[in-house]
Amino acid sequence: MEASVSAALNVSMLAMSVIFTVLIILIFTIKALVKLIPYEAPPAPPARKVSASSPPEQDDQVAAITASLAAHIGKRPEEFRIVNIQSR
Amino acid sequence: MEFSFSSSTSKIVHSTAFTTLDSGDALMIGIACLLVYLAIWKKFEPLLLLPMGFGCLLANIPMSMMASTDTGGLLNFFYQGIKHEVLPPIIFMGVGALTDFGPLLANPTVLLLGAAAQIGVYMTLIGAVFLGFNMQEASAIGIIGGADGPTSIFLASKLAPHLLAPIAVAAYSYMSLVPLIQPPIMRLLTTKEERKIKMEQLKPISQTVKIIFPVAVTIVCCLMLPGVTPLLGMFMLGNMFRESGVTARLHETAETHLINIVTIFLALAVGSSMTAESFLRLETLKIIALGLLAFAFATAGGVIFGRIMCKVSGGKVNPLIGSAGVSAVPMAARVSQKVGSEEDPSNFLLMHAMGPNVAGVIGSAVAAGVFLSLFGDVGSSIDTHAALAPVIGNPEPGMQALATVVEVIKQ
Repeated sequence: MEASVSAALNVSMLAMSVIFTVLIILIFTIKALVKLIPYEAPPAPPARKVSASSPPEQDDQVAAITASLAAHIGKRPEEFRIVNIQSR
Repeated sequence: MEFSFSSSTSKIVHSTAFTTLDSGDALMIGIACLLVYLAIWKKFEPLLLLPMGFGCLLANIPMSMMASTDTGGLLNFFYQGIKHEVLPPIIFMGVGALTDFGPLLANPTVLLLGAAAQIGVYMTLIGAVFLGFNMQEASAIGIIGGADGPTSIFLASKLAPHLLAPIAVAAYSYMSLVPLIQPPIMRLLTTKEERKIKMEQLKPISQTVKIIFPVAVTIVCCLMLPGVTPLLGMFMLGNMFRESGVTARLHETAETHLINIVTIFLALAVGSSMTAESFLRLETLKIIALGLLAFAFATAGGVIFGRIMCKVSGGKVNPLIGSAGVSAVPMAARVSQKVGSEEDPSNFLLMHAMGPNVAGVIGSAVAAGVFLSLFGDVGSSIDTHAALAPVIGNPEPGMQALATVVEVIKQ
């Protein structure tokens, strides 16, 4: 094929059209798939309540989470209370 | 044999490589050391540039038989993996095993950003033709704008094998420079308000969709552009390993050990092709310049299309994610996040940018497929035995030996 700027321009336009066509087909394919097979959230595990009789390791976790949360939201640890921790 | 100290000393002196070392070799050794320096001290894609630089060093030591053209040499054997399209697709399988298509599936319209960023490929193609390259060479140079090393190597080995070394070096060097090249262009083409746009949380995607997606892409893209099947097919196979949930060992192997091993072979093989004859040419300088143009236009194309999507969606799309359409996973997505968070530290664009980022991988593979359809020899039959004969020798004696052993066992 003759290598001229006009030929390169033609190739570029043709190629970009092909790329957009292929990817637009993919967009519709994905949209159809997502519509046909919707996401279903897995059943949530039962929540575990933090109680006074919780094991010492969990107390440590609560303390660490409380301190991090306090630093993040800018409140003192006494101003809020963690009532339960859900494992994911 | 009579021993003469002086003649033996003279023989040893004349057998050293110093006697045949010319200025070209010396300069290439300097370039090899520069690549190693950039890899170690500047952290420029060290996983690639370090073995590539060292391969270049080995190849340019005279009489070492380590250049890609030295038939029977060690690195010539590795180079067959590029020549016969083995190594880049295996790397792509590993990349597929590492890729999460979730952000793309949650917002599929960002695939258009991956397409728009390919404008860099075609602007470079035009520039390369303007500078005197033929169409095949210009296509191989243009794909540098796809910011995808294996794709660049794959296409160069098919369309312009004599330009493989400078193309690979340019592609990987500029990929490592993405954090320097992209931000000024992104800031230039967007307003402060646009950079502050916060995008909606991505919705979760069913695992079944994630499993079906690689099959759908393979069918759609490979049927339309069969030349790209080795790359895209292996990319999607790697992703199937990841998403199927039943091939944990294959997934782990593909994303860790296999990709690492093949990266060593690939980079050494590319380095071994960097000899003075193939690299110290005016074309190399042109390719280095065109590579920068490719990355700049690809970034601009993605960001401009991002702005269009921003307008069309009523301000729901942050145009900064468009720059991630250049591929260069995941660095380009990180750059989108970084530039966005400079305007608003509470703006998290990373996951949104991963969508166009992986779309860019598909886009650049499709762009390579278009070039192969136009200028390659797609569909031509390849005699595998004949192709491998120079590498592994004639396998027939081995087969005969095996048949003999079988006969002995039978008796």
